Amino acid sequence: MRITRVMSAALACVALAVAGCGGDDEESKSAKKVDPGAADKATGNVNWCIGKDTTGTFSKAVKEFSSKGQVKAKLIELPEAADQQRTQLVQRLRAKSSECDVLGMDVIWTAEFAAQDWLQDVSDVVAKRKDDFIPSTLETAKYEDKYWALPYNTNAGFVYYRTDQVKQPPDNWEDVYSEAEKGDGLVYQGARYEGLTVNFLELLYSAGGKALSDDGKTVEIDSPEAVEVLKFMADGVEQGAVPKANSTYKEEESRRAFESGKATFMRNWPYAYSLGKDSKIADDFDITTFPKFGEGEGAGVLGGYDVAISAYSKNPEGAAAFAEFLTSPDWQRTIMTEASLPSTLTATYDDPAVQKAFPFAEKLRTAVEQAQPRPVTPVYPQVSEAIFKTVHAALQGDMPPEEATKTMKSEIEKALQTF
Amino acid sequence: MEAATVARSRKRGSGLSERRLAAAMVSPSLIVIALVAAYPIGYAIWLSLHEYSVRVPGLSRWSGLKNYDTALSSTEFWEAFRNTFLFTGISVAIELVLGVAFALAMHRAFKGRAVLRATVLVPWAVLTFGSGLLWRSIFEPDLGFANSMLSALGLPGGEVVWLGQQGYAMAVMIFADVWKTAPFMALLILAGLQVIPDELYDAAKVDGASAWQRFIRITLPLLRPAILVALLFRTLDALRVFDLPFALTRGANGTNTLSLYAYEELTANRLVGLGSALSVLTFLIVMVVSFMYIRFVGGNIRGLADER
Repeated sequence: MRITRVMSAALACVALAVAGCGGDDEESKSAKKVDPGAADKATGNVNWCIGKDTTGTFSKAVKEFSSKGQVKAKLIELPEAADQQRTQLVQRLRAKSSECDVLGMDVIWTAEFAAQDWLQDVSDVVAKRKDDFIPSTLETAKYEDKYWALPYNTNAGFVYYRTDQVKQPPDNWEDVYSEAEKGDGLVYQGARYEGLTVNFLELLYSAGGKALSDDGKTVEIDSPEAVEVLKFMADGVEQGAVPKANSTYKEEESRRAFESGKATFMRNWPYAYSLGKDSKIADDFDITTFPKFGEGEGAGVLGGYDVAISAYSKNPEGAAAFAEFLTSPDWQRTIMTEASLPSTLTATYDDPAVQKAFPFAEKLRTAVEQAQPRPVTPVYPQVSEAIFKTVHAALQGDMPPEEATKTMKSEIEKALQTF
Repeated sequence: MEAATVARSRKRGSGLSERRLAAAMVSPSLIVIALVAAYPIGYAIWLSLHEYSVRVPGLSRWSGLKNYDTALSSTEFWEAFRNTFLFTGISVAIELVLGVAFALAMHRAFKGRAVLRATVLVPWAVLTFGSGLLWRSIFEPDLGFANSMLSALGLPGGEVVWLGQQGYAMAVMIFADVWKTAPFMALLILAGLQVIPDELYDAAKVDGASAWQRFIRITLPLLRPAILVALLFRTLDALRVFDLPFALTRGANGTNTLSLYAYEELTANRLVGLGSALSVLTFLIVMVVSFMYIRFVGGNIRGLADER
């Protein structure tokens, strides 16, 4: 009896809490906006929540920033894997925790976090320095015509090829596959996870196709281009241009296969370049930006991290000052030379120190410039899941490409209708 | 007379207070159970009857059984259901056979028995997720230990992409689970073996029973309660398997399980309602299976008692 009463009281509390949340947020629909001038006179403390500091530059940033001005920054390290970082941030933001002032966000989270009112509108801060950034990188911080973050580091993939097996860099994907079939094959990220979505979209974009319309409301993934790309990729697996093992590869597995000399081509991020220069194939490979596919133009998919200011930050001015420091020309040069993280500023790539550390700086800037963001929608995780699960099934030969693109379309449409 | 009244009232009083005392003594544990078990279950059921918006902050609405309908009509749920039961059936069966064999071996008195018992338990002491990652690197294509060893020995399977093909991926998952939990099974069965009195074997020997007859007629029947308890534990654990598919394949190639599927909907897609509905369904499935087991075990123990 008493227990029933306790239980119903508990349920009532939950009901109130849920209803309460709904009420609160409905009223404050317009997001807080960061004033670009306020950062100059900021004081106090800010916490930066971002993934594990594997390169040591996150803690260095915090130290350097704190020694310079009035604001003291502190680093809060999240797990190393991006999906775990997201879980950690979502938990904090759902609880309206003010622990994190500046959020280190994978570029695919922007729409989702912005839609939930978890971020502050930084459009005015961006407007002030819009020309400094590589235009494509700003697209990752945009949702519904407003900017919700500053691009911290960007990323774009390359085709790695063996110079001892391939005479000149391929200028279309068809050549990559046919030469791979003759040689030792192409490896990429073919496991059933986010990486496969990226690999598929890179070819789709290069063929001139799209996943969603620009407003993010219509699904365009059942285009003839998509069917052609998927058929092309599936044939590649079936005819041996891509090894069977590729269906389990993530970035590291493909890098190891390429470095051990088992593949002629590899699709990977720039980080594999300097590591490859320490491997046994050090003198036998080079990289090139993504070639075109069919009638399209070479295009890539943007990776990297943006820095956003939490809606629950108690010190948005301090957070803005820190975010500006992180995207300043000086600091962007440092992350590029010391941590090999590609800068989001156009000018960084012309710096002699950067060009010395990155012999392929010019190619990298081109790769970033020609890259596009992944579909911008608050339900991106579901959209990506629909893509990588179906593409994986098609590449395993479990589903014909025409059926696969139709399945993707209906799954994504279902996802877009999510309440 | 006065004394009698006192005695009566004390008797009545003590009767009441005894009942009250019992209630008072049980209530802390009931409250704890309510807090740690009933509340989360009730909350999950509550969540599963709602939809929580992934677009509009904090917005939620009552949706009745819609989430259950979505779950039960999705092919993914039934695929996960099939995989979970396939995994449970095969892995628990193998573990049972190995567990009995290990237990019999450990039960015999010989030199170094203590060392053997400790060694056998090592896999069980390893964190499942950690061992999952270990198996993943062993079964990695090309460079993994499994493929290199099979090719070096000239055995078939050197070219198989273990974690990248339907069937093979499930086989690796079952193998990893058997490696880890057969020792646990063995330990529980060993405990059952140790309570079987030696006199029974001596008497059987006097009557001229062979070793096989002694195993079939004495060991197995008397071991039944211990085996059933071990089976119950392992089955319930296996039905909730999460860490192995998470570490090995992330649910690819026919290894998605009910728990992993619920987790993905809940964390990756933030579909709180659907994820909770899936968890509740998993809970119900586990409940049904455990009720069946408990009836089975209970009936058996009673049956054994009657025989004596």
